[in-house]
Amino acid sequence: MSVSQIDVPKPAGPAADRADARRRARGRREARWPAYVFLTPWMIGAVAVTLVPMAVSLYLSFTSYDMFNAPHWVGLRNYREMLFDDPRYWRSVLTTLKYVVIAVPLKLALALGAALLLKRLRAGRGFYRSAFYAPSLLGASMSIALVFRALFNDGGTVDNVLGTFGIHLGGWVGDPHLATFVVVMLTIWQFGAPMVIFLAGLQQISPELYEAAGLDGAGAWRQFVSITVPMLSPVVFFNLVLEMIQSFQVFTPAFVVSGGNGGPADSTLFYTLYLYERGFTASHMGYASAMAWLMLLAIAAVTAVMFKVSRAWVFYADEAE
Amino acid sequence: MPEPRSGRRRFLRRRAVATAVAAGCSTVLLAALTSCGASGAAGHHITLTFTWWGNDDRQARTEKAVRLFEKAHPDVTVQMSNADFGSYKQRLATQAAGGGIPDLAQLDYRQISQFSTGGALLPLDSYVQDGTLHTGEMDPSLVHTGHLAGKQYALPMGRGITGYVYDATVFAQAGIPAPQPSWTWQDYAAVDAKIAAMKLKSPDGRTVAGSNDGGSNEDVFEDWLRSHGKQLYAGPTKLGYTEQDLAAFWSFCHRLQKSGALVSAKDSAQADATGISAFSRGLDALDYSWDATFTGFTSPTGHTMRYAPVPGVDGKAGAYFKPTMLIGIGAHSKHPQMAAELMDFLLNDQQAGDILGVTRSQPPNRAIAAEVDRKLSGPDLKVWQFDEQMQKYGVQPPPAAPPKGDVAIESAFVREYQRVEFGLASPAKAAHELVVQAKQELES
Amino acid sequence: MNLTMRRWLPHTVALIALLALLYPLLWLLVTSVKPADEVVTSVNLWPSHFEWSNYSTALDGVSGVSVTRLLGNSLLISLGAVVGNVMSCSLAAYAFARLRFRMRGPMFAFTVATLMLPQHVVLIPQYIIFNKLGMTNTFWPLILPKFLAVDAFFVFLIVQFMRNLPRELEEAARIDGCGPFRSFFHIVLPLSRPALITTAIFSFIWSWNDFFAQMIYLFSPQKATITLALRNFVDQSSTSAYGPMFAMSVISVLPIVLFFFVFQRYLVQGMATSGLKS
Repeated sequence: MSVSQIDVPKPAGPAADRADARRRARGRREARWPAYVFLTPWMIGAVAVTLVPMAVSLYLSFTSYDMFNAPHWVGLRNYREMLFDDPRYWRSVLTTLKYVVIAVPLKLALALGAALLLKRLRAGRGFYRSAFYAPSLLGASMSIALVFRALFNDGGTVDNVLGTFGIHLGGWVGDPHLATFVVVMLTIWQFGAPMVIFLAGLQQISPELYEAAGLDGAGAWRQFVSITVPMLSPVVFFNLVLEMIQSFQVFTPAFVVSGGNGGPADSTLFYTLYLYERGFTASHMGYASAMAWLMLLAIAAVTAVMFKVSRAWVFYADEAE
Repeated sequence: MPEPRSGRRRFLRRRAVATAVAAGCSTVLLAALTSCGASGAAGHHITLTFTWWGNDDRQARTEKAVRLFEKAHPDVTVQMSNADFGSYKQRLATQAAGGGIPDLAQLDYRQISQFSTGGALLPLDSYVQDGTLHTGEMDPSLVHTGHLAGKQYALPMGRGITGYVYDATVFAQAGIPAPQPSWTWQDYAAVDAKIAAMKLKSPDGRTVAGSNDGGSNEDVFEDWLRSHGKQLYAGPTKLGYTEQDLAAFWSFCHRLQKSGALVSAKDSAQADATGISAFSRGLDALDYSWDATFTGFTSPTGHTMRYAPVPGVDGKAGAYFKPTMLIGIGAHSKHPQMAAELMDFLLNDQQAGDILGVTRSQPPNRAIAAEVDRKLSGPDLKVWQFDEQMQKYGVQPPPAAPPKGDVAIESAFVREYQRVEFGLASPAKAAHELVVQAKQELES
Repeated sequence: MNLTMRRWLPHTVALIALLALLYPLLWLLVTSVKPADEVVTSVNLWPSHFEWSNYSTALDGVSGVSVTRLLGNSLLISLGAVVGNVMSCSLAAYAFARLRFRMRGPMFAFTVATLMLPQHVVLIPQYIIFNKLGMTNTFWPLILPKFLAVDAFFVFLIVQFMRNLPRELEEAARIDGCGPFRSFFHIVLPLSRPALITTAIFSFIWSWNDFFAQMIYLFSPQKATITLALRNFVDQSSTSAYGPMFAMSVISVLPIVLFFFVFQRYLVQGMATSGLKS
């Protein structure tokens, strides 16, 4: 499965072909050079800041490199050790998968719900928008981690609230079964970014569509299903892909909640946290690079599948007739 | 298509020009930047870089001492940077990988093996021999901790010892006398059990345990080992203990923990993650710490705090005086001679010593230490008295700096003991897992 | 009655949601004025008395550098990121979304792929490059890449938006003899405003909060940002001043709160206000 198979925003499908045909029929051929002018800064960045370091890290993944002495070639040893000889590697994979499956849908559902709610609110819109976004302004700093720990402590707010319902879980952060959920809570609490993107997407939908549907007697639900959902689908897709990619790479929240060690007893040892530990704490940079490349391939595979499936449900205005 | 208002169109066009210019310029900019980024060394003027970790107090004192050095050397400017310990380690490792560490760097005991074998540090032997660096006033065994593979790579900046901070008020209530250097691990267990049995309440209403759980702390294990006549490392690639030794230690801790004499597994995990000790939350009456850290402890209950030795075995102490931190010169330093002079100034100049005080614990230079110690007061004085008491009692000399795999082994230590605490592995099984990982780490 | 219900229902829902959402922030605010000994131990939300000195301690700055300086450094980096990202990412996105050229597919795939590579791994090679250029301990490593459209997230975001603009306008413009440049500046860019505003806001906030890169590239205290200083504030090898740390946290997020509050209103001005009539 290669990355290059990812569907790109090209005028795909029969609609686009027809558009092409229309353009050709007008006898106007676009010149290619303007594109490269637009892309000049991007190309410099892609090569200097991204491609070269990526190539270096790919090379390092086949070496043993402790960051101090020159790397020496070990072939596939890092990859072999990872896949067949490192129980913690698979532990971190499972922990991460569990996290992605739980956190992404929750976060997107919250973000979309909040965006739709904000659209409904006429009065105090700015206030609500800012207030909903406020948690996301804070990032995952040391202090926020401390706040969450305090809330999820033994006898903390969450414990007391659940206690009134007769649920006694005690402290979450120190419990291997619950610590992951503190990280989940911390990340879904910060749903501001996808919410804003949903909002921007909702703003883009022409109000005339709704007016026309209203005149046709379509109710709110009907309008939502046949206008909002298809018109918003590129944005939903964007958020879905991005949140998925970012969740696989979840690092900072887990880092601050566990104090950097992925504890207790490896319960919050997410993939990138383990990668960081191997690379920067234990100085096995070659191994960490190999981990990164396997991760890239895995995410690329999932993303490619998502792009493939997206053709069935994502609707682009520029392909519309 | 509607005509946009003319004002807006003009605005757009202006913006377009700006955008195009900027896009075109970024390449030119890049070229321009590369030419003026590196500062050319002007004349005879020397700029030294010096980096360390530490708090604001250390920052202010170090700054003051370095300004004194600059006054004496008008042709030298010292650029300093400091950070919290976690960030510091990460940044220094990145710098080492990406072109060299600063001229002078404060180093952790656990870091120097890796930095020296990786060629990131300059050997100091020639500067010691030609008298640029004086070590005559320092304890030879302490100087030796910076000696690796036959060369001196770093010198100690401070000297400290570990012990137990304890709540003297609770001890008095329980009728427990102040622990003496000769107390044993069994005494420690009995004290913990006695305090736990009193069922005192912490500020947040939970039962106070005897002590924090040292099972996840490699330093506690090392003290335990040394009091049993063993050591953490027998060589650069060899452990100084067996699976059975470790299993015995973990069983000891875990049994106490299960009986409630030590802090609960959850609270220990939290303390590991936050760096907020159970002691400062009022959850126990004893907490393992460095002597210098003792001055920073505040009791949430307003109780009196004292400092006790680490338990031993049959009069054999496990704790020892180790360098709290060391200082080394970057291998790629352009001005190694001047860096060595600054290092010597910080370590051996009386004026600098007076300014620095005990901000990095006891100064390694005896003459300076004597001068500094005369002016101590409050908790600092208590720490000094404790050090004197341990010195008289007699402790073993420090071992060589831990090998480079130790950083990874230390984090495995926390993890594996947590598996014991949460019932995911027996002490014997966890000890086996740790020793396997440690051997892998040491041989890689 | 029914009408009143319908008007008030969203507000009720929103307010209940906000209560849960903002509780941690309330906790943070209250803790920032708590006396030191109550921060870690007390389970009461409300302090026994207000310790305003936490703020004066925080305002003293860190390592002898004033808070104004720290905020200024953060501001410079974040604004640089905003300008850089908006310009370079919109240029690249337009090419990907609307123009045809060789290697477009692989290039775009590469952009998306860069999102998938954990940052920590390219960190050292990137550091070596910037070190060779003599840019360590300057703001360039934090700003320059933004002018080179390396934040694939934003390129991807703006592409998704531009693809959702109907082509008719550009078609019409082309018939009127507009080239891709005029088309971009006069039609596509104004219509993409929601995406550009989103890019600006996120760039600012993320740069502001980005601790990792700042820590690696900025060494000297005079170059430190507020985020770095906050981290320095809590040194685990000494007494942790938690009250002042929370006060510092509050101070450090105030600018982004203001920034967001000012710019969030532009998020609404999408298609609805651009006077687009198909």
